[in-house]
Amino acid sequence: MPNVSGNAYALSVLSPIRNDKVGTVSRADLVRDRLEQWNRLQNSPMAKVPQTYLCRFFVLDDVYTESLPSAGALDTVTDFLPVVPNTLRVGVLPAQDRLQSKYLVFSSNFHGDLDTYLLGMWNAITAEIKDVWQHCYGFDQVNDANTFSAYIKKCQLPVTLFFVGSNDEPLEEQLKGLYLKQEFARFAVEHQGIPSAELKKAYRAFIARVQPTNLQGPTWEPGQYIMDKQRNVQQEAAL
Amino acid sequence: MTQPLDLTDIQADVIRASAHGGYLFARYVFFNIRDGEKGRAFVAAVAAEVTNAVIWEQGAATPPTVINIAFSYQGLKELGLPRASLNGFPDEFVMGMKARRAILGDNGPSHPDNWDPIWQANRVTRDKDVHIQVSINGKTPQDVEVRTQWLLALAGKPESGVFLLTGHRGPNGQQNLLYQDVHALFENGVPTPKEHFGYTDGISDPVFEGQPGEPWSAQGRGKQMADGSWAPLATGEFLLGHVDEAHEYPPAPQPQLLARNGTFMVYRKLHENVHAFDTLLEREAQTYPGGKELLAAKFVGRWRDNGAPLVSAPDAAAKAEWDQRFATATPQEQDRMLNGFTYDQDMSGSRCPFAAHMRRINPRASLQLKAGALPGQFVGNPGAFDTPGALANRRRIARRGLPYGDSTDRSSDRGNHGIVIMMLNADINRQFEFVQQQWINYGNDFRAANDKEILLGNHDKEFPSKAVLPVDPESEDVPYFVRNIPRLVETRGGEYFFIPSLTALRLIARGLVDPT
Repeated sequence: MPNVSGNAYALSVLSPIRNDKVGTVSRADLVRDRLEQWNRLQNSPMAKVPQTYLCRFFVLDDVYTESLPSAGALDTVTDFLPVVPNTLRVGVLPAQDRLQSKYLVFSSNFHGDLDTYLLGMWNAITAEIKDVWQHCYGFDQVNDANTFSAYIKKCQLPVTLFFVGSNDEPLEEQLKGLYLKQEFARFAVEHQGIPSAELKKAYRAFIARVQPTNLQGPTWEPGQYIMDKQRNVQQEAAL
Repeated sequence: MTQPLDLTDIQADVIRASAHGGYLFARYVFFNIRDGEKGRAFVAAVAAEVTNAVIWEQGAATPPTVINIAFSYQGLKELGLPRASLNGFPDEFVMGMKARRAILGDNGPSHPDNWDPIWQANRVTRDKDVHIQVSINGKTPQDVEVRTQWLLALAGKPESGVFLLTGHRGPNGQQNLLYQDVHALFENGVPTPKEHFGYTDGISDPVFEGQPGEPWSAQGRGKQMADGSWAPLATGEFLLGHVDEAHEYPPAPQPQLLARNGTFMVYRKLHENVHAFDTLLEREAQTYPGGKELLAAKFVGRWRDNGAPLVSAPDAAAKAEWDQRFATATPQEQDRMLNGFTYDQDMSGSRCPFAAHMRRINPRASLQLKAGALPGQFVGNPGAFDTPGALANRRRIARRGLPYGDSTDRSSDRGNHGIVIMMLNADINRQFEFVQQQWINYGNDFRAANDKEILLGNHDKEFPSKAVLPVDPESEDVPYFVRNIPRLVETRGGEYFFIPSLTALRLIARGLVDPT
């Protein structure tokens, strides 16, 4: 079954970008420009979308194909008949094929089912969705979560490849797991070799502080990947 | 069948570390080329004196000094190599070490802003670029000095076209020494194979096909075969123009004569923070149950005094027994005891930790692992690849160079002492840079998350490093954490160089390199 692996879902969406221009700028360039702006933010807007493991946006300019001649019986016969002129032989070859438009490609690996995810996405970043997708064919029909969901499903391709750097758990579980791993390593280092009574006391305090079963906090923020404080400061200053 | 190499055509240090051949003193002299044509004449004059690898043949006479020469990318450009040949050099060599600092982790105190003046000035303005390195290896300081005077006389001639680049830091706060001097460390007047942290260095240099030497020297230093035996690594891992472990010729410039029998050298001046090292060792030894020397051994994977591997001598009792056997062993058996081991019985790292220098630099077959049933347990995964060393054989690096400076005053980290290491490999990016980035400054391949290698890792004050010393997962022991590891080794300069064959050297000197 495509798209689903355990509780993980792989979504691949290809939305055709309108071929007309806005002024002298193509809509594909506008989409690309919007997406490039996201690189200048401290974090992607997609970090706000619940349950996102990993996602990617890009603009697909073209896919050019030139398929080989079909191996039908007629072709075989003409191949063995030197009387068939070369122009005729070439004439029956398949023509080159290209995309009808450029495409906005959005792929996302997330936890849970598609409807819940798209609803969460619409609610979290409505403005950004409109900002990027407004240049795509058919997006003018989208005006709420339901029509967005229907639109995305129309553009969806079935896929079977998943991002392997994540497991099956909800995002909150994974973020809490990473947080606990980091904090526990720190605890172990800081409390190495102390008498067991003290260790027990310190461990109780540690558990009270990190609250292992509380997924809401303390935990890692979605999209928390930059450790370099200096770089954060520079990025913020640049905005 | 092993094909003998053209030792007449290969510079001596490429085949064997001069220090291992008894050349315990060396001086590295750097030049800037001011005039390409005259510079070629200078190169020709040096080339006539360059020592080839014939000196390493059994019974060959050894000269008092070994002279080798190497060029940076900028140097080759100044010597007038055709553009089509220059374009064939790999990107990282063209960019140079300074520009690769993000990949190498040369940040903070290792940042180029803190390098020796000669290396700070390199690749800033044309007249300060480091173009040529001449290395003079001698059996005595006098031998080195005699050769230095010859070289300086050559460079000092008005028609030489080259300019001596100074700017090496020295022991008494000097910023502008004329050369980089290095030498073996002496204890009571006797030379030792030690470096400033007290470790025995340079034990397991790789062995590749065609090197002269005992046939058994490949044990532990070559590659491990499917049946567990050892064979020399493919020549092409260390020499251009030869087939490598992937049965391919390594990427190299045209014409073939320019590249064949040459190699790339990574020159790095590494300062050792002896005070920080001593402090860390003393502090952690107070709580580490195995004692100070075992802890020091855990940092590297070998005992400091004689290099006994922890895999074979995991504790003080086993070490005493190992020492006894070593004392009466034949040279072949001694070599096997030092090098001919695997991590097969230590997959969980309870003997040699995953953060140890030796395991990170050359993991042998130990990356072929999977999680075991117990917490912290790893087991081998034989058959995952064609041969046990499949993940390590293409990351090997031949190490040359010697310590510099004096570290008798260990009361601070401000002294001028460390190692000049010169690493030879056919592909700087695939071999040196990969090891530096993925295995020294990152631990994921070793299931050690982002734990760095203890000695060489670019430990950061803001995010203090730890290292785990695992224990036998079936025992009741608890692992030990080495805490708040400071930056123990700092980069003080370096560059990527090309060491041509003698044939290529003559072509370069005559301006006859022709890629068409």
